Amino acid sequence: ASRTLWSFSSCSSWLPQRVPLRGSHWQSSLLTPRTSLPVRAQPKKKKKVDVRREQAQKDRMKKKLKKLEKAPPELIPIEDFVTPLKYSDSNRVRSLPALSPEETERRVLLLKKWSLFKQKQDEAEKKAIQILVESQQEALKELRLESEELYQAAILRDEGLFPFERDGPTYTPPLSGYDPPEGKCVDITKVYTQ
Amino acid sequence: AAASRRPWRLFGAMCLLRLPRITQPLEKEEEEMAALMEQIELEKSCYSDHEIRKMEEEERLKRRKESLYDDDDEAPGKTVIMAQDLEDKWEQKFLRFQAAPRITDADKNNNRTSLNRKLDSNLMLLVKQKIGNQELWLLPQVEWQPGETLRSTAERAMATFLGDHIQAKVLGNAPYGIYKYKFPRAIRTEDNVGAKVFFFKAFLQSSDFSQTEPKADYLWVTKNELGDYLKSEYLKKVNRFLLD
Repeated sequence: ASRTLWSFSSCSSWLPQRVPLRGSHWQSSLLTPRTSLPVRAQPKKKKKVDVRREQAQKDRMKKKLKKLEKAPPELIPIEDFVTPLKYSDSNRVRSLPALSPEETERRVLLLKKWSLFKQKQDEAEKKAIQILVESQQEALKELRLESEELYQAAILRDEGLFPFERDGPTYTPPLSGYDPPEGKCVDITKVYTQ
Repeated sequence: AAASRRPWRLFGAMCLLRLPRITQPLEKEEEEMAALMEQIELEKSCYSDHEIRKMEEEERLKRRKESLYDDDDEAPGKTVIMAQDLEDKWEQKFLRFQAAPRITDADKNNNRTSLNRKLDSNLMLLVKQKIGNQELWLLPQVEWQPGETLRSTAERAMATFLGDHIQAKVLGNAPYGIYKYKFPRAIRTEDNVGAKVFFFKAFLQSSDFSQTEPKADYLWVTKNELGDYLKSEYLKKVNRFLLD
């Protein structure tokens, strides 16, 4: 019976001291006299080490967290620049007849005409603005000749002018008494947080 | 040094503009370019979901017509809405909508006192004023009183002819143009040589004139029509600060 006892104690070698298992049912309590509680050598020191170990663990965790936070934030993906994969299917490619040489010729000539048109338009706008500025300068000059105080009042900045808001022109004028149909707009834009 | 009284009388005039409400018609080059841009965009694009659905349904319809029996996939009695039907429905809905006409009644009658005319260009206010012993069409002007700035003179001019409830945004404190003229020799004196009219610009914010009664004859005209009413020298100075 004692040999079996030793084998059991060798299995449970994780105990700090070779204390035989009180709970093993093959050993009756009368054989081995034991104290009721497992005796530890230095109870108080153990607590301090525990506390210190826990503190060290906490500090290590905090350091790791700080390192993670310091890392640069993940870049938010720009949805417009990423083509969804379903649009690169081959059946999506449009089949149109090829351009004839006359067509390409017409397009090139039209682009040239357009650039000339835009150039003339731009020059006219710039000239109109220049004339406007000249007219204003002339008016201010004459005003200065008249009276200095009126001139000073005229060159003050108008605080109430900006911000200047205005609805732009539409294709057709607004319809009086028009009741637009009811509708619901569901916003499905993805919101990323850093 | 004591400021000697200058011989010029000062006037503040307001050029009140009603901004355009509709877009101007496109030039020929602009239209051609717009068509070309649309074509290029179409060529560079891929098929959309709606177009793919439409193509598949047309294929299926063709197969069903050619084959003598119905497809087993289609459950009998189930109505399938085709993409073509949707397109027809949308087209019908669009045709039922009537937009307001771009050319209004005032345009057709050439009623120059109405603000509903020429919705695609700027309209300016002209009033008939008595200068000396002549009745002239001018931008509303009023003589400057000592103690006020020229901008407030111009605002006062606007209020005298259109009432106090006018809502206009004056573009800044500085005048935009000047018209200088000397009085005719008969009334010219040493102290009273002539007059300087300073022009200010403002945008009309409200178009509600039901409350105001016009104090004098007034017109709303475009830049091109100014020549019908203004004298040539005056017109030249006014045209300089009007962008069209």
